[in-house]
Formats: sequence, C-alpha cells, structure tokens
Amino acid sequence: MEKLLEADITEADDPGLESTAQPVIETRGITKSFGHVEALRGASLRAYPGEVLALIGDNGAGKSTLANVIAGVHASDGGELLLRGNSVDVASVRQARELGIEIVYQDLAQAPDLTVSQNFFFGRELLVRGFGRILGKLDEQSMRQRTKEAMTLLGAQVPSLTVPVSALSGGQRQAIAVARAVMWAKAAIIMDEPTAALGTKQTAMVYDAVRAAADRGLAVILVSHDIPKMIEFADRMAIMRHGAVVSQMPTDGLELVDVLTTMLTAQKDEA
Amino acid sequence: MNLTKTSPHTSAATFSSSEPPLAKRIVTSTAFMIAVVVLILILIFGLLSPNGVFLGPTNFRNLALDSAQLILLAVGMTFLLGAGELDLSIGANVILSSVVAAKVITFMGGTPEEVLAGNYSNAGVAILLGLLAAMVTGTLFGIVNATLVNMLRVNSFIVTLAMMSVGSGVAYIITGGVNVSALPRELQRNFGSADLFGVVPIPALIAVLIGAIAWFVMTRLRFGTHTVGMGSSIRAAQRAGINVKLQRMKLFGIMGLIAGLVGFIDISRFLTTNIQGHQGDALAAIAAVVIGGTSLFGGRASVLGSMIAAIIPAILINGLVIMRVGSFYQLVVTGVILLIAVGIDQRRRAAPS
Ligand SMILES: Nc1ncnc2c1ncn2[C@@H]1O[C@H](COP(=O)(O)OP(=O)(O)OP(=O)(O)O)[C@@H](O)[C@H]1O
Ligand SMILES: [Mg+2]
Repeated sequence: MEKLLEADITEADDPGLESTAQPVIETRGITKSFGHVEALRGASLRAYPGEVLALIGDNGAGKSTLANVIAGVHASDGGELLLRGNSVDVASVRQARELGIEIVYQDLAQAPDLTVSQNFFFGRELLVRGFGRILGKLDEQSMRQRTKEAMTLLGAQVPSLTVPVSALSGGQRQAIAVARAVMWAKAAIIMDEPTAALGTKQTAMVYDAVRAAADRGLAVILVSHDIPKMIEFADRMAIMRHGAVVSQMPTDGLELVDVLTTMLTAQKDEA
Repeated sequence: MNLTKTSPHTSAATFSSSEPPLAKRIVTSTAFMIAVVVLILILIFGLLSPNGVFLGPTNFRNLALDSAQLILLAVGMTFLLGAGELDLSIGANVILSSVVAAKVITFMGGTPEEVLAGNYSNAGVAILLGLLAAMVTGTLFGIVNATLVNMLRVNSFIVTLAMMSVGSGVAYIITGGVNVSALPRELQRNFGSADLFGVVPIPALIAVLIGAIAWFVMTRLRFGTHTVGMGSSIRAAQRAGINVKLQRMKLFGIMGLIAGLVGFIDISRFLTTNIQGHQGDALAAIAAVVIGGTSLFGGRASVLGSMIAAIIPAILINGLVIMRVGSFYQLVVTGVILLIAVGIDQRRRAAPS
C-alpha cells in the first residue's frame, strides 16, 4: 500500500518509466456522463509505445467507457485526448481508425455471416484499380492475401479464410479480431476484456497475440478483471475507480493485495 | 480447436488446402439445387400435360413473361432481406406507380376525346414520361419507407405494413376506385407483349438484365458486402463505420425503383391498371427469395437463387391451368410455397455450416 500511494502521488511523472518516451495515447481529465450517471469524472492515463497497459477496476468503474471514448465510440463531455502529444478530436470510430487507433470489443462486433477476410476489411474494403474502383469493385484477392499475412504474423490459425466467422470457435474469432486490430493499428490497440469468454489455451493464444502487437511498437491498452495475470503479463497498470484513474504504475513487484486495496478504496483526491 | 501457434509455412498451407473446389461449391449451392427442382417441375408438367403442351415454345414464352415481374421483385427483395430488412408494401408500390404512370400517359397522350377512343396522338412521348413517372414514384415510395424506418426506429416490417395500406389507399384516391384503362396499344405492342427476335419477351429480358446487374453488385461490389454485413450484424456494420441509415435508404430506393418498373410492365402488358391486384406480390417475392437461399433474417443473399426460385410460381400456375385445375388454387399454392420456404430456411440455419 505504501508503495502504491507513493506511485499515486507522483503519477503525473509516471515513475520508473520512459520519462523520455512520449506516450502514444494520453487522456487528460476525460469526463463523460450518461444522463445522470457520471461514468467518467476526469480520467487521465498514458499508454506508451511497445507496452501493454492493463486497465483494471471494479465493475462500473468506467473502463469500457474510457476505452470507448479513446476509440471514438462515445464522444467525451470534457477533457483532452492526445495522440503522440497532439490534442486530437475523435468524434467517430472512423476518425479514430484514421488516426491508427483500433479497438477490439468484448463481443467482437463481427458480422457472423461474413468470411474471415470480409470481416478483416469490413467498412474499409480494398478496391480494384481503374474503372472498377468507381463502381466499388472489391479486390478480393488482395484482401485475402493481406488477411492471411496478418493471421500468420500472429501465428493464428483458422481452417479457411472463406468460411463465415460463425463457423469458427470463440478462440479463433477472438484471434481474428486481434489480428484485424493489429493489421490496421498504427498507434494503439484497445481491448475490452478480450479473454473473458475463452478457455485456457485460447486465452494463452490471445495473450501471445497481444504481446506480439506490443512488440511491433503499438501501445496496447488491455481492459481486464484478471488482476494476477495482469501483474504478471502487463508492463504497467492503470487502476480505475468511480470514473477516474486513481493509480498508474509499472507492474514490477506489485502485490495483488495492494492493487485490490487501491481498486476498492482509493479516492480520486489521493491520486 | 485449431488455435495454435504455427510457423508461417504450415498456416499458409492450411489456408489453401481447405478451400472447396469450384465444382463442388456450385453443386452444393442453393441456386443449383433450386435449378434442379425447377427442371424436375418442368419435366413433371411436361409429362402430365395433354400432348406435352407445357413443353411447347409458346408456353415457355408465357412462362418467361409471367415470371418477369416476380423475378424483378425478388431481385429487389434479395437486397432487403440480405440486409435484414423487409418490404411488405411492394404490391401497393406497384399499384401506385402504375396508376401514376397511367395517369401521366393519359394526360400527356392526347385530347380527352382521343384518349377515350384509345387513339393517342402523342403516344411515344407519353409512354416515356409514363415510364419515368413510374420509376420516380416507385423510388420515392421506397425512400419514404426507409425514412420512416430511420426516423421512427421501428423495424421495416411494421413500417411497410402500414405503408402497404397508405400506398393502396392513395392509389384508390387518385383513381376514385376505377382502373385507368384504354392505355395506348403501342405500349403493349412495342413493350409489354413485344419479343426480341420474336421469341424473348422484352419484360423477361429486362428482368434477366437487371438480375445480372444485381448479381454483380451483390457479389463483386462493396455495396453487396455492406448489404449482407448489415444484415448479419447491424452493430458490427455501425462499428465498422458504415452509414447504415444511408445504406437502408439506397436499398429501399432500389426496391422501390424496381417496384415502379414492375408497375410499368404491368400496365404495358394489360393496358390497364389493376388496383385490386398485387396483394400477394410481397409474400410471393419473399418466398422466392428465401427458397433461393437468402436468409429470412439477413446476412446471406443469393440473387441467382432468387431469380430461379421466382420462376416456380409461374410454372406451378401455368401447369395447373394447363391441367385444368381451378385458378383459386393459386392462392393455396403461394401459401404452401411460403411455408416450404420458411421450413427450408429454418433447416439451413439449424444445420452446422
Ligand atoms: N451507454 C450507457 N448508458 C448509460 N449508462 C452507462 C452506459 N455505459 C456505461 N454506463 C454506466 O457508466 C458506468 C461505467 O460503466 P463502464 O461500462 O465503463 O464500466 P466498466 O468499468 O467497464 O465495468 P465492467 O467491469 O462491468 O465492464 C456504469 O455505472 C454504467 O452503468
Ligand atoms: Mg466494461
């Protein structure tokens, strides 16, 4: 607890980590209300290139809301989102994507009847050159090729790229969602509880994919309830409570009990 | 579970080895199976009909002509069902479009006396304007449908059920309940009953042409992917940045345009509007689309399957007529076809892919 509180106090300087590196994603005092519910009351966090940042907190702490604001699903009411130090305005998923920010939703938001490669390119299909482009003619071969490359890159395997994703297992679908995000992301990937529905083996698979994504220089924000795993797996951790990030620190030497205490008792003012 | 780490080489091999060969994909496709059913039906009626008249060239011409309108409607409905939408108002749209077209033609065609005598001094221009009016009316009707679905945020079943009533009501108001008849004979001679090379009815030709374009749009263009993708999961489509409201507008607009065209074909075949008719059009089109392999709940669509399945009612009705079974059985037949279609759809959905 001692150690944590210390970390809290100096949170703004991000102790022990890349005071030199620039965060890929930074939120400053993001607020967001749904009617009378204040889901976010000034949430500030930083995610650095090449790192996995675990975003944890009790149910209703505001993790998904913060993730969705960064990804352009919700517009924030106040606060600032910075991409590599520049303040950006992300009003839609499309805009977030253009900035290189991808999100993997907890329910994946895939179209079950579309094939693997159709899902990979859903909403940003590759078109052929020339006249066909005006008509919106699909370049299916290129899309299949690039899907294959992206899947191979993460070591994810599916029986075929031309089957509908509904024919695949939960783990395979998850792997597809992660691989798709990695393929498109140029800055950051946000994953909202990507392993919640998966078995042990499939979970391990997804973590491998997440690490591979970070190793490619992306900032990965991982929303999770599996705190022991996050202490072991993530590079840093941001703890949310009542709509604010109450603590942010490296996971090295963190104790589960301290994390839980912060998560369940910390006040925003302490931070 | 195949979800294991593999070297690039092995996974590359996995991808290619399991794509089914083209021949197998064709034989197992719904469109192919429906085509087989159609052939079997034709053979059965050929054998049962007196002197085999069913297989004669005249009857084939009749079949093509009689199926043309349903094929067109089914093609439009394929897009809507594929997108998880439904249009029950297409029959009313066909009527309203044909009424507007007929009014335009009689108004533009010549003096009231000439028109009354069926003798149009200005037939050519009047007919072209009538065609335009039918297509504009149909498209607007569809766009109203989509606008209501978008604005009221109710599903298209309810909206188009209401619009079915509105549409035929307006048609009755415009006509005072009396069909517009005595349209120029040129309309029938040069279009509705005309044949290309003396064998292929023009309406059937139009149906096949539009069907071919629709097939291309559905299978090769981004528009098709967005359509079935939206039917598969509207949330996924929204999250993918697709403007589903705009897509819905386009889809209902296309359906309306086709309904308008069908309305025009209708008056050009019979030289009169048919405000009491077309009540079964929507269900017949939906049945054909579902039998043809499109999911009743969106996500999967087969234009080719719809087109082939849309021939079935004409075959059954022609066959029954040739065999002197009363025409009231048509209604029963349509209902039974719809039930079979829904049954097939349920089975398909239950079957593991
Ligand atoms: N669309 C919405 N409309 C109304 N209230 C919402 C909405 N989304 C979130 N909330 C509320 O905002 C608060 C934060 O929700 P959020 O989903 O961000 O929490 P979370 O940390 O992701 O929780 P969990 O661990 O359960 O996923 C909750 O009180 C929730 O009820
Ligand atoms: Mg959540």
